[in-house]
Order: sequence, then structure tokens, then C-alpha cells
Amino acid sequence: MFHWLEKHPFFFAVAVFVTIAFAGLIEILPNFAQASQPVVGTKPYTTLELAGRHVYIKNSCNACHSQLIRPFKSETDRYGHYSLSGEYAYDRPFLWGSKRTGPDLMRVGNYRTTDWHENHMKDPAGVVPGSIMPAYRWMFKNMADIDTAYAEQVTVNKVFAVPYNAEIPMADGSKETVKLAATLEEAHADALEEAKAIAADMKDQDVKDAVAAGQIPEIVAIIAYLNSLK
Amino acid sequence: MDIATIQAYAYFFFTAFLVVVLYAYIYHLYSSQWKGKRDYEKYGNIALHDEIDDQPVEQISKNDDKKVGGKNE
Amino acid sequence: MDNRPLEYDYTIAKMFMLTTVLLGIVGMLVGVILAWQLAFPGVNLMLGEGLAEYTNFSRLRPLHTDAVIFGFTLSGIWATWYYVGQRVLKVSMAESKFLMFLGKLHFALYLLVVVAVVGSLLMGITTSKEYAEFEWPIDIAVVVVWVIWGMSIFGLIGIRREKSLYISIWYYIATFLGIAMLYLFNNMAIPTYFASGGIGAWYHSVSMYSGTNDALVQWWYGHNAVAFGFTVPIVAMIYYFLPKESGQAVYSYKLSLLAFWGLMFVYLWAGGHHLLFSTVPDWMQTMGSVFSVVLILPSWGSAINMLLTMKGEWQQVAASPLIKFMILASTFYMFSTLEGPIQAIKSVNALAHFTDWIVGHVHDGVLGWVAFMIMAALFHMAPRVFKREIYSKSLMNTQFWIQTLGVVLYFTSMWIAGITQGMMWRAHDEFGNLAYSFIDTVTVLHPYYTIRAVGGTLYLIGMFLFAYNMYKTMTSARRVDESELQTASPMGA
Repeated sequence: MFHWLEKHPFFFAVAVFVTIAFAGLIEILPNFAQASQPVVGTKPYTTLELAGRHVYIKNSCNACHSQLIRPFKSETDRYGHYSLSGEYAYDRPFLWGSKRTGPDLMRVGNYRTTDWHENHMKDPAGVVPGSIMPAYRWMFKNMADIDTAYAEQVTVNKVFAVPYNAEIPMADGSKETVKLAATLEEAHADALEEAKAIAADMKDQDVKDAVAAGQIPEIVAIIAYLNSLK
Repeated sequence: MDIATIQAYAYFFFTAFLVVVLYAYIYHLYSSQWKGKRDYEKYGNIALHDEIDDQPVEQISKNDDKKVGGKNE
Repeated sequence: MDNRPLEYDYTIAKMFMLTTVLLGIVGMLVGVILAWQLAFPGVNLMLGEGLAEYTNFSRLRPLHTDAVIFGFTLSGIWATWYYVGQRVLKVSMAESKFLMFLGKLHFALYLLVVVAVVGSLLMGITTSKEYAEFEWPIDIAVVVVWVIWGMSIFGLIGIRREKSLYISIWYYIATFLGIAMLYLFNNMAIPTYFASGGIGAWYHSVSMYSGTNDALVQWWYGHNAVAFGFTVPIVAMIYYFLPKESGQAVYSYKLSLLAFWGLMFVYLWAGGHHLLFSTVPDWMQTMGSVFSVVLILPSWGSAINMLLTMKGEWQQVAASPLIKFMILASTFYMFSTLEGPIQAIKSVNALAHFTDWIVGHVHDGVLGWVAFMIMAALFHMAPRVFKREIYSKSLMNTQFWIQTLGVVLYFTSMWIAGITQGMMWRAHDEFGNLAYSFIDTVTVLHPYYTIRAVGGTLYLIGMFLFAYNMYKTMTSARRVDESELQTASPMGA
């Protein structure tokens, strides 16, 4: 039997495939339904937050920052409560990262402010002496891609039934709703409202002018995203 | 039976099955050598004698040979 | 028809040899830039403020990994496939116009993909998943390239003269199947442009999996892409090139077959070790650890088999720099397949995960094992492909020692950096408070980052020597005839 396999490349390939595919089948498939249930208090992203998440991905922030707090005292002391599977239910893709050149950002929204991020993105070493993080000054000039963020919201709502416009239970027993705009124009208007609130806490005059003129710089979007990480 | 149990059983039996196959394979490799059926070590020479006009370690059957030969002419 | 005797046709092998060298230099050059950026952040602005977006660490980092994996390594795999494949099957590409056409198409499409990848990564178009950063249009092109390679493998096997498939062919087949399965599943995504009825960027997509599931699939891919890109095909190379160059048949062919099935069976289970202490189920994390340790057996089976192949022939290691490259490669293979399982032990992982020790592990594997073996393979192929001797043996020796020193500096500094940082992160003072702020654990790494950058630079210098040696071999080295090419490669002074 063995020798026969060695002489028949096609069946040999099938045997190799079965051997390697088996681990994946057993490891991955059965957990799919269970692991994707959101925990109480987990909300889908707003349009602006999602646009900020795209900025985060565009600049590979995940190459140096993790979003995964492991259940050790030293990590919970430093970053907050350890991560729960359900907290990631609306993360597509996941952004756990694999290297902490900089600190974890899973709950950065709990202890950093808009103002802090603004200064830090302009000049990291000026805020944190000794920092090796590069500056991200182009984020103040480039505009965020609200269209694509809205397209993604529509997609996940349609295909994966992510609960936009639906009541979501919060930890304190209240209910919240995350809106999915009916049209692209409406999405733009909503994102701009959100952006105005953030720009109000910022000092950069170019950013304030841009938002006043109805535009949303990348920096505003990414701060909205970072502030949502709690 | 919930999915985790099925998962565990599937995992256990398939692993046991593959381990048995692997040991059977070891037995096969050595027994074919003792019985003089086939010495697997000769296949190591495929790499050493690999010029296009070298004699193959194991010629492909006559039928196939003709087909390949036909393309040469 | 002309009546020249039938010869192996290395046209496609030559093309991929070229991209191996070029993309190797690109990938490692970017890597060296990244290393200096970590040591001296000012390097992020090396082309000025205006281009900072494109010279920044975060944009270049995916380009580095992808250029080395999908540029250098994959080109090397294909260069050797189009060489070794013909020889151990004893059939020439020249015998089939169709396979020849497929080979050329394979190379042309591959070049297109490379251009698309470099452009899109620099623009920041990425899915963020490591080693799977490409958006869906590129993914589709990658699948096409892969299918063409598969047709080439099975096409060549279909017209073979040698009935039994040599062990290297087994490994190439496994590479093809493994990557195909992993890549397809991990890159499942929905293009938002089409799903939303034409809104936003046309190339953007959203992953089919969310959160923990996405991580599970990604690291099942990430780990096994290493298995089937950095281990399996490189083992295929060493099983052919070491015996051929040394004139010694594999020490135990039976052991090589067993190690093959062992590796196939065990490797895929080990992916879970990337997710220790994360939110994936406990039993799976444990399986990841256990299988990572079991993985030592088949890996060492192959490595020891290689070292034993040299039994009684160790004078060749001293005499030939080419054999030195291969023996050092298999030594590094043993080393990093021991280091990996150690890092996968839960208590060690708690310390090592997220630190530079992991980066060190990747690099002793890739620089020491993968790159050394690919360069040795190209050195062996060059005289046979170009019908000239290797231009300079002393240059090869120089390259060998410079690069070995580079690798050693690299992994030792990253070990120290990783363990230092891991210990500092978890240190508490006598009142139970954290002993160090995060930035303390960054600034302390500066000397190690500098040493690492020096090590990387040495390795890159070696790459330039390699490229120069190959170029001279191709263009101006002494011509040799068939009789000199039987075993050890001819080399000039």
C-alpha cells in the first residue's frame, strides 16, 4: 500500500493533503460559532471610528502595538482588565499584533486623551522622552476615507448581521444603539459631527480649519478610533 | 453530544490512526528491506545520477517510455 | 528536427535565480533600514519630511517581511524547482512546449504580482494580517500564479522517466499543497465595494472571520506559512544539493521518508503556540505547545540525516565553502527548531511573546537556515546553468564568514533584548507596583538594537558579495565542460 502511494503522484498528493488538512479541520472549524459571540457592552464601530481603524491598519500600527492583554498581574496592572474573546466580535480583521515595540493599546481610550494623542502623533519623543516611535505628521494633512468605512459598515451589516441600528445591552443595564446611516451623504454628515467634537479638543489650526470646511483629516479619525478602545 | 466532545473524539481517533499508520510505515520500510523486496536506500541515487542520459534508478513502464520517446524524435 | 542531444533546459531557473538575488537584496536592504530606524528613529526621515510617509518604519515593515518571504525565498524555491525538478525526474523542460510556456507565464505573472505588492504596500493598502497583507485583487493573482506552478509540477511529473519520486519532489509537492490550502482559507474576504453596491475603494475588503476566529485562522496560516515556505521547500533543497555537491547519497533514505510524514503530521498542530494566553480555547493552546515540542523529532530527523550524510567526508566541509554554507544551514535548522519549541512552552512563552526574542528566532531561522541554503543552492546551480566555474572561491569564503558573524550578532543581541524586556515588563517592586514604566523597557534596548543593526548590515554586505560573485560567474568566469560538473562545483581562486 505504501509503495503504491509512492508511485502514484496524484494519490500521494491526496494523502499529504489529508494529513495536513486534518489539524485545521479539528482545530478551527468547531470553535467558529462559539468564539464570535460579543460580550455585554461590545459595540460595533461608528463610521468615523472605522475610518480611523483603517488609518491604523494603513500605517501598520499593529506592527509595533498589540491589542491583547494577557491574564498576568503585570499586564492587568499596566493595561487594564485582560482581554475577553467576545470583545473582539466586531473586529475584522483582528489587530492583536505579534510584537510590543510600543505598549498595548487594547484599552488606550481609558487613559489617554485626544489632546495627548495629537501631541504624541506630531512628536512622540517630545511627549515621551526616549520614545523611538516615528512621527505621523502626514495624518494631519491626508483626509480619511469615509466612503470606504461606510462601505464596510454596510457590508458587515448585510453579510455578517453586525447589529447596527439595534439595541445593544451595556454593562450597567442600559441600552445603546450604533447608527448605520441610510445613505453615503448621511454617513458623511454623521462622521463630520463626530469629528467636530474631537477637533474641538485639538490645537492644530489646519485640522480645525479642515473640519470646519467639512473635511475629516486622518488624525481625527484615528483619534476617534483610539478613544473608542476601552 | 456537544461539539467539543465530538471534536475531542475526532482528534483522539484520528491522531491514534495516524500514529498507527506511521509505525506501520516504519515496519514496511524495514521489512521490505529484510525480505529483499525493495531496498529503499537505492532511491538516494536518484539525486547522484541525474544526468538526462543516466539510466533511471527505476524505469517508468514500457508504455509510458514510448510516449516520452515519441516526443523526442 | 535538429540532432543535438537532449539537454536540461534551465531558462526558467535562470529567470528565478535573477529575482532571488534582486529581491533578496531589496528585502534585506529594507530590513537593515528598519533595524537602524529602531536604533536611531531619525532614520525614519531619511528622505526628508515630505516622503516620511513612505520611508517610515510602519510602511516598510510589511514590505521587508513580504520581500524576503514572497520575493527572495519563493524565487529561490522556484529557481531550484525548475532545476531540481527536471533532474531528479530525468526529463527536460525542452521536451514539452506547453510546460515551457507555463514556466514563462509563471515568471511573467510573478513579476507583475511583485510590482503590485511593492506599490500597494508602500501606499498603505494592506489587510494587516502578517504575511497575508495583500488585498483581494492581488490575492487572486497569487492564486493564479500558484495554480500555474502546480500545473508545472504535475505536468513535469506526468512526463517523467524516473518512476519513483525523489524525496525532494515530495517536499515540493507538500509546499504546493500546504501553501495553497493555507493561503486560500486565510485570505477569505468580501470586497466591500461590491457588497455595498459600489461605495468606497474598489480594492478594499473585509475579513470573513472576526476577532478570535480571525486570529486563529491567521496564526494557523502564519505559523504554517513558515512551515511550508521556510522549512519544507528548504528541506527539499538540502536533500538534493548536499548529496549532489558532496557526492554522498543521503545517509538514510528511509529516515528521510519517515521525517517527511512526521513533519506533515505534526507541523500543522503547532500553530496554536502563537496564541498562548490569548482568548482561544485552552486545550488548543496546550496542543500547540505539546506538538511544538514533538516537532523537534521530525525536524532533527532531517537535520541529523544531513549531517550524517557527510560522515567520513568532513574534510569536504573544510575544503569547500559551498558545503560550509549547507552544513551551517542545517546546523541553524537544528538550532532554530530547538529554540522554537522552547519558546512554545507556556511559561517561556509568557516571557518571550511580544518581545524581540521572537524576532531573533525568526532571523536565526531565516538568515541562518533559509538564506544560507538558498544561496548554496544558487552557487551549486550557477556553474551548471551558465557552464562557467564559480567566479571566486575566496569571495565565497569571505561572504560565509561575514554573514555568519552577522547572524550571530543578530540573534545574540535579540535574545538579550527580548529576555531583558520580558523581565522588565513583569517586574514588581516591594509594594507590588510595576517597577518600570514602558518607556524604560524601550530605552534600555538601544545598545542591542544597535548591535542588531550592525549584524544585519554585515549580512547585507554578504548579500552584495553574493550578487557580485554570481554576476561575475554568469559573465566572465572560466568556461567549463560537462566533465567538471559531475560532483563538486568548480570554483576559481
